[in-house]
Amino acid sequence: MKKKKTVYEAAIDHGFNRRDFLKMCTALAATLGLEFTQSDQVVKAMETKMRVPVVWLQFQDCTGCSESFIRSSQPKTESVLLEMISLEYSEVLSAASGHQVEASMKQVLKDYKGEYVLAVEGSIPEDDSFLTVAGQSAKETFLEMAAGAKAIIAYGSCSSWGGIAAAHPNPTGAKPVTSFVKDTPTILVPGCPPISEVMTGVIAHIITFGKLPELDQFGRPKAFYRHRIHDKCNRRAYFDAGLFVESFDDEGAKQGYCLYKVGCKGPTTYNSCAEMRWNGGVSYPIQSGNPCIGCSEKDFWDNGPFYTRRAKIPGTQTTINPDAVGLAAIGLTTAGIAVHAAGTVIKRKRDDKRGEEE
Amino acid sequence: MAAPNLPTQPPGPFPDRPGINSENSFHTERPIHYKPVKNEVRVYVWELPVRIFHWLNMFAIILLMGTGVYIGKPFSAAIIPDEAYYSNLMGWMRYIHFFAAFLFTINLIFRLYWVFKGNKFATSNPLRWLFWKEVFETVKFYLFLKNKKPHYVGHNPLAQLSYWIFIGLGSWIVMLTGFYMYFEPQQESFWAKLFVWVPYLFGGDSFTLRSWHHLAAWGFMLFTLIHVYMAFRDDYLERNGSISSMFSGYKTTTRKSVGEKNNE
Repeated sequence: MKKKKTVYEAAIDHGFNRRDFLKMCTALAATLGLEFTQSDQVVKAMETKMRVPVVWLQFQDCTGCSESFIRSSQPKTESVLLEMISLEYSEVLSAASGHQVEASMKQVLKDYKGEYVLAVEGSIPEDDSFLTVAGQSAKETFLEMAAGAKAIIAYGSCSSWGGIAAAHPNPTGAKPVTSFVKDTPTILVPGCPPISEVMTGVIAHIITFGKLPELDQFGRPKAFYRHRIHDKCNRRAYFDAGLFVESFDDEGAKQGYCLYKVGCKGPTTYNSCAEMRWNGGVSYPIQSGNPCIGCSEKDFWDNGPFYTRRAKIPGTQTTINPDAVGLAAIGLTTAGIAVHAAGTVIKRKRDDKRGEEE
Repeated sequence: MAAPNLPTQPPGPFPDRPGINSENSFHTERPIHYKPVKNEVRVYVWELPVRIFHWLNMFAIILLMGTGVYIGKPFSAAIIPDEAYYSNLMGWMRYIHFFAAFLFTINLIFRLYWVFKGNKFATSNPLRWLFWKEVFETVKFYLFLKNKKPHYVGHNPLAQLSYWIFIGLGSWIVMLTGFYMYFEPQQESFWAKLFVWVPYLFGGDSFTLRSWHHLAAWGFMLFTLIHVYMAFRDDYLERNGSISSMFSGYKTTTRKSVGEKNNE
């Protein structure tokens, strides 16, 4: 069994001094949405808490979440990987491979039962034949590892909602992790991919406070998913003003007007892109001129075209242009009324005539 | 509620009792007020609160629809195409939409109260076999088929059904989804917590709720169109003052239908 080190010890071992360590803790507190005065709590946790063993499983995914994860700037990915967590199994980052790495996963189950965090990337197919890793079906591996985990973090829209693989008609029967486990506490970190600071922030929160962050009704951490992009958008003033980009090559697009009319899903998307932004706070899609595609929302791939505003017919995966359909319905009804009114007049004339004859 | 099978019993003798229908057997304890005019009677059908509700509702729906279509698909841009601080077009559209939404809601809540307080024409009960039988007869009447549709003083059962669907159900769809969206930016607030259950009712995320809201709004447009046509048609065929009744409250009808003798 490996010797357990505290996060602080691990940092010192890796050549950081205490000053660097305190800086890291302060920045981390800010990322977690804590007050400055609470930085002490973070420092204390990092000094006393052991590194958390993490098993990172990948199922029906594209590794995009892992790619996002390794680009975290605050806390830095290397400090998360080397100091905060002890990554016991990862298809992307493990140096070992084959039987060695599979054995390492089994070892975690033995050594750290009830202590390790299970990170899951990708959806799990209902039908085992669609995904088998190292001779074991995805579902089996997941259930085995989930049973002994302290908590499950579902990274990305696939493990949170079913993801691209679950898009209509969902040939593999892809399902989110929450369809398979009920007992182990699960945090959903949706996004395609999620923001790297959110991914590391969730782990940091678990280490700092020893418990899951506060979750919303869907199971997402409130700290990162309580706001709509629309309400925090840097282009919001243009929305309220009534200044919209009509097409991607017009003057409005150059001026940075609101992307509402070119299909921005910001008004229905909960994520912290507008606040945290991407790549260390450089930019995010809307700032860069592309409408939000709502990648962290459930079924976003079935919510109509990315660059058009649509409405979904409730209970289906069909989207329509509500105003075009509405106007067509009004037109048809008007035509129907005209015919009916003509019929009414004719009938009345005929009845009057009959009345006179009698 | 009185026993449903009793016909209307206005004061005075009742020799020419009309056949029992869904209207004259309904809420017989609520009296009908009318005044005789020549061979007919002028019945006070729509009380003042009902008329006020009707026109306020129309006013709110027009405001809501106009601004709502703009919010869903902004068909015109701000006049000054410059920095955002010169105009607030969408801001005003939303402001008017929210103002009208509160008007609509308060108005509807008042109307719900009047269901219990008002006269027999202010309420409706679709949970009766007679009601549905006469809906069927009324449909036949509108399709120019041979029918046994009785004469009604107030609304026919098909009209009542349309109010159940559009004013009853439709209003609640737009109000619940609307208020949920209204409080969406302040999810931790007391008011938002009042509506947290709405997504469970309508199945899902913000996008689905928005879709419900948008589609139900077009339902209101359809209703308005058909409702206005039917009102004019009724006036044209029956010569009963359907249109003016929503201003004056009085509709002209036969003496028989209020239980009086025909003095021909």
